[in-house]
Amino acid sequence: MFESLQHLITGFTIAATVHNLLYCLIGCIVGTLIGVLPGLGPIAGIALLIPATFGLNPTSAIIMLAGIYYGAMYGGSTTSILLNVPGETASVITCIDGYQMAQKGRAGPALAIVAIGSFIAGTIGIFGLVFLAPPLAEAALAFGPPEYFSLMVFGFIVLSNVTGKSFLKSLMMAIVGLIIGAIGLDPVSGDARFTYGSISLLGGIEFVAVAIGVFGIGEVLVNVNQPSELLDQKVLRPRLRELYPSLQDLKKSVGPILRGAVSGFGIGLVPGPAPVIATYASYMIEKKVSKHPEEFGKGAIEGVAGPESANNSACQAAFIPLFVLGIPFGPVTAIFLGALLIHGVSPGPLMISQHPDLFWGVIASMYIGNFILLILNLPFVPLFANILRIPKKILLPLVILFCITGMYSVNNSVFDIWMMLLFGAMGFLMRKWAYEGAPLLLALVLGPKMEVAFRQSLMISHGDFGVFVNRPISMAFLLATAIFLIFPGVRFIFKQLKKGGI
Amino acid sequence: MLRKIIIGLSLALVLFMCAPIQAAEFPTKEVQIIIPWSAGGATDLIFRALGATTGKYLGEAVVIVNRTGGAGAVGYTEAMQAKPDGYTLVSAITPLTILPHRVKTAYTYASFEPIINVVKDPGMFLVRSDAPWKSLEEFLGYAKKNPEMITVGNSGTGGGVHLIALAFEDAAGVTFNHIPFAGGGPSVTALLGGHINAVSVSPPEGIEHVKAGKLKIIALFSEERFEMFPDVQTVKEQGIDFVMGQWRGLVSSKGTPPDVVNILHDAFKKGMEDPVFQKNAKDMAINLHYLGPEAFGKLMAREHELFGKLIQKMKK
Repeated sequence: MFESLQHLITGFTIAATVHNLLYCLIGCIVGTLIGVLPGLGPIAGIALLIPATFGLNPTSAIIMLAGIYYGAMYGGSTTSILLNVPGETASVITCIDGYQMAQKGRAGPALAIVAIGSFIAGTIGIFGLVFLAPPLAEAALAFGPPEYFSLMVFGFIVLSNVTGKSFLKSLMMAIVGLIIGAIGLDPVSGDARFTYGSISLLGGIEFVAVAIGVFGIGEVLVNVNQPSELLDQKVLRPRLRELYPSLQDLKKSVGPILRGAVSGFGIGLVPGPAPVIATYASYMIEKKVSKHPEEFGKGAIEGVAGPESANNSACQAAFIPLFVLGIPFGPVTAIFLGALLIHGVSPGPLMISQHPDLFWGVIASMYIGNFILLILNLPFVPLFANILRIPKKILLPLVILFCITGMYSVNNSVFDIWMMLLFGAMGFLMRKWAYEGAPLLLALVLGPKMEVAFRQSLMISHGDFGVFVNRPISMAFLLATAIFLIFPGVRFIFKQLKKGGI
Repeated sequence: MLRKIIIGLSLALVLFMCAPIQAAEFPTKEVQIIIPWSAGGATDLIFRALGATTGKYLGEAVVIVNRTGGAGAVGYTEAMQAKPDGYTLVSAITPLTILPHRVKTAYTYASFEPIINVVKDPGMFLVRSDAPWKSLEEFLGYAKKNPEMITVGNSGTGGGVHLIALAFEDAAGVTFNHIPFAGGGPSVTALLGGHINAVSVSPPEGIEHVKAGKLKIIALFSEERFEMFPDVQTVKEQGIDFVMGQWRGLVSSKGTPPDVVNILHDAFKKGMEDPVFQKNAKDMAINLHYLGPEAFGKLMAREHELFGKLIQKMKK
């Protein structure tokens, strides 16, 4: 542990040189911009800038690219809060309470708490990365296909009713998500499923198209459907003293930020779309813990602080498998693997000892970068909050424009834009009849992974279902799922008995 | 008067903008390479690096455009439909000769004009260092006695390394239990965790773990041994006549004029020989393998036929 600290200090001397600080700053600024623009996410942003780093030494290059990654995590929530358009996939959950806060004129506190929460969670994540990386990476290897499957089942059951309004409607939306997730090439046999001969559908439906469609476009359509005099109205003007969180807001947010940071870090170690799942889990936890669960969905600051902290620490944790095992667990770290390779650094078990300057320099820069982002983001809060002063009849078409350009930039695909508009229409109908978008998106993320893990498990075990219960970790998750399902029923019966007894 | 000047100026501007298109020499604007796979993957990185060094020999910038979707079909379909003027190229990699056998695509390898082959990475099988098999002989001996018992991970059904594993089964007279994963990374993770027995990969996947002594190469399908691991014998040396790998090159849509193909070929060849690209390639542990247009075309034709047979086998 002492050795790690010493290395970290060396890392700070590397990261604090003028040119590395400059690259860190550039990365943070670019990342924030990429995060703010809907659609364009860290993956595309980093890939575009890799050639620009060819002339740099590997440490500076990775410092800048890492800055883009966590910068995007800071910026991603801005449009979620202001316009109900998720800036990137890990900010879907923030739409629920963040947008409600903005509608009540509290966009400022919401934006500020995101920056503060992200900073605290990022810091916790970095310390986790410094002290726990090697043992955690080894632990992640214990997860084979059966363990993933059971974990996904657990996550699916626990998180699908995240907003907790109507269980039946949530379940229906989750099933729609599973069906959408089944479109494309079958992951095992390679046959085309539900594509009806369309080449564009072979790769499945883009998650971002569904997310922006259901939330962003859907919201615009709901607004357009209102009587026209409402459209001329300006959104509530935030008063100056309400731009930053009050002491009470901060008090309320401490718990969610810390819990979000810790749970996000743990979930970040799991392969797949960890940041997305981390935000759902954090929202769920906060709602369960809260003394006022009824405020969630109506602009509870805890529902913004927790998930936004969770996605930041999850994004730090995602570097562990990359740096220690050389294996990217998600699409963003896959890009980092490529960037490292092209600079002649092969991440893997030997990386920390072979390239200590790079490893510790990058980690120290992440800490500096988080601080830069905090300073960078807080002054922007009034600016962003004032976007809501724009009359809706001007703002709404602009939102559509942003959504379309953002969507196109993800895959350079016009087909995706049509998909987004289609899901926008669906999002409108869902809003009208009070169906939740969150379970649908969760199922869309988890469904395909769950299917692959299930089929891989059975292929490895030659068709023996025992594989799910014979392995302790897998068994534990399945048991937890069963308890979660049975517990409310038992409690209900228990209460009835008690009533009857009196 | 003022109006006339404005009209005149706009006309001049329009002419100015049109001029480059009418010019006979090639290239007069940037050349784009469509990558039908996502940014940051091996193919993307290789051609980004090559594009960066080729620009100065071509006289115009080389731009990378990722057009993902449909297991590569979206990018290839678009490239096939592009004007055959040499300004739109597409990275041709092994799956170009695989997917058309699996689903109905608008294109085959023959819809494109070969320009240059850049990379050929050998296939290989990795196992854990503590695996019960010390040699290829023991590995295959066990596989023969226990058909379909050894689990071999691959990076996706019908992908290059899956088909290499299927072809190796035929050459060695054994059968494995093939487990598809979403990419090379996850399959190597599953092997490290001991959830499967072996993986079929091509470098640089898993190389770091071989260096660290956690994994070992049990079967190598190249012509020659690796520079990095001179002690690892190829399967050919051990009496199984089997050499297979994955290639990556560049093609343009059918009908691109031969002199344009030549200009592109010469520029990309120089880009390949550039010391900066050579260093990038070495750092990424990719195996450079130059082939000119004709030889590259023959390679694709041969592979197309081979994969047709293997897909038939896979579907059974």
